[in-house]
Amino acid sequence: MFTQILWWTANFAEVLLLARSIQGKFFRRYPSFYFYLGSVLIVSLLRFAVFTFRPGSYPAFFWYTQYFAATVGYAVILEIYSQTFKRYRGVVRIANALLLFILAAVILKIVAGAVSGSGWPPGETMAALERDMRALQSVLLFVIIALLAYYKVPIGRNVIGIVGGYSFYVATSVMALGFGSLPGFGSRPAWRSALPIAYLAALMIWSFALWSYHANPEPGPESKIERDYKYVSEQTRRILSRARSYLKMGGEL
Amino acid sequence: MIQWLPYFFLGLLLLAVLAWWVWDAIVHRRTAELLTPRHLLDLRQVGSRRDLGDRIFGPQDWDFVLRETPSQIQRVFHRERTVLALAWLRRTRTQTSQVMSAHVAVARNTEHLQIGMELKLALSYVLFLILCNSLIGWVWLRGPVRTRKIVRQTLQWVASQRAAFGRLMAVVDPANHRVLETGFNQGTTQS
Repeated sequence: MFTQILWWTANFAEVLLLARSIQGKFFRRYPSFYFYLGSVLIVSLLRFAVFTFRPGSYPAFFWYTQYFAATVGYAVILEIYSQTFKRYRGVVRIANALLLFILAAVILKIVAGAVSGSGWPPGETMAALERDMRALQSVLLFVIIALLAYYKVPIGRNVIGIVGGYSFYVATSVMALGFGSLPGFGSRPAWRSALPIAYLAALMIWSFALWSYHANPEPGPESKIERDYKYVSEQTRRILSRARSYLKMGGEL
Repeated sequence: MIQWLPYFFLGLLLLAVLAWWVWDAIVHRRTAELLTPRHLLDLRQVGSRRDLGDRIFGPQDWDFVLRETPSQIQRVFHRERTVLALAWLRRTRTQTSQVMSAHVAVARNTEHLQIGMELKLALSYVLFLILCNSLIGWVWLRGPVRTRKIVRQTLQWVASQRAAFGRLMAVVDPANHRVLETGFNQGTTQS
């Protein structure tokens, strides 16, 4: 009964969000995010149809569509990346470098596993596969959020909501799937409820943040600042290294 | 059983950085404020308090209290000086954070950003914060009088940092630098 309530509430929230974006004409501003939301809604309705008319096929269908939803989730990360960094050329350079490094590390791990034969530990179940996909999403989101926080990139309420809601859902998914995909834990109902609850919480965040359109703030004038980056970074480096050396000397006294 | 731990910590790490970012976005919502004249006025006030650190950590007051007052007064003095010292150290930490904020405001917009330099600065800043927070913990545990040798070194750094910060602000915001410069010159800078 509780699961049913969660399921219908989530569907209602998704329909509301999509309707609101169409009414306010801002679905074009965040196309990948609304594509994700629409896909999840369709998947959810398909699951309901399969559960009602072909209950025997439901478990397999559930995990295949869950895998699909996790894949489409990368579109949200792409949306976050493009919305947050596109106007900040300095941050986009750092972000590109770090994300390429992560991609290279994943590819290297797969290739090394294929060559040695020990392999990337393959997902024994669909849950384990989804867990690994969510873990990679977590790393990508971690890098993006850390850069947003470190460089104090000003962003609007809509994008704050998308980042906050999706990151919360992914973080909860990784923990729940990591715990739930262990042998012996799969049948426990507690971890199965964690995902719908986390998703509903994400939907609540999105409903609040995306009720109306809020553009990202424009970056300020930069012509003078642009020219002096080398000088400023050298000054900052000097200040920090001196600060550290003094404090270290102090510690030795 | 141990195999779920990395996933658990990964999720926890993402939640932690998310909480930090949301808190920071709310508290420091107006990042452009860094370069406004009002903010520079605050920094001028910081500059004029250079002697405060010398007085808080200096031996003169403590020697006098030790010589002339009973132990009860000494305890009160020690407690109050600890509070003052902690506030002063936190102010020092804030000054360095302002330098970093000025830097990231420049760096995030420039296409000439050097990734190696940025990583070095980030690491250096994190190490500084660790050291500064350790010092705060040390003062909190042992009091400012017993920690004065350590803090004397910090005082030298604050003076040099203030001068360097003045030069930095002269580049970033030359229009308001004169106001700031006057404030800095009230203290004794030792680079």
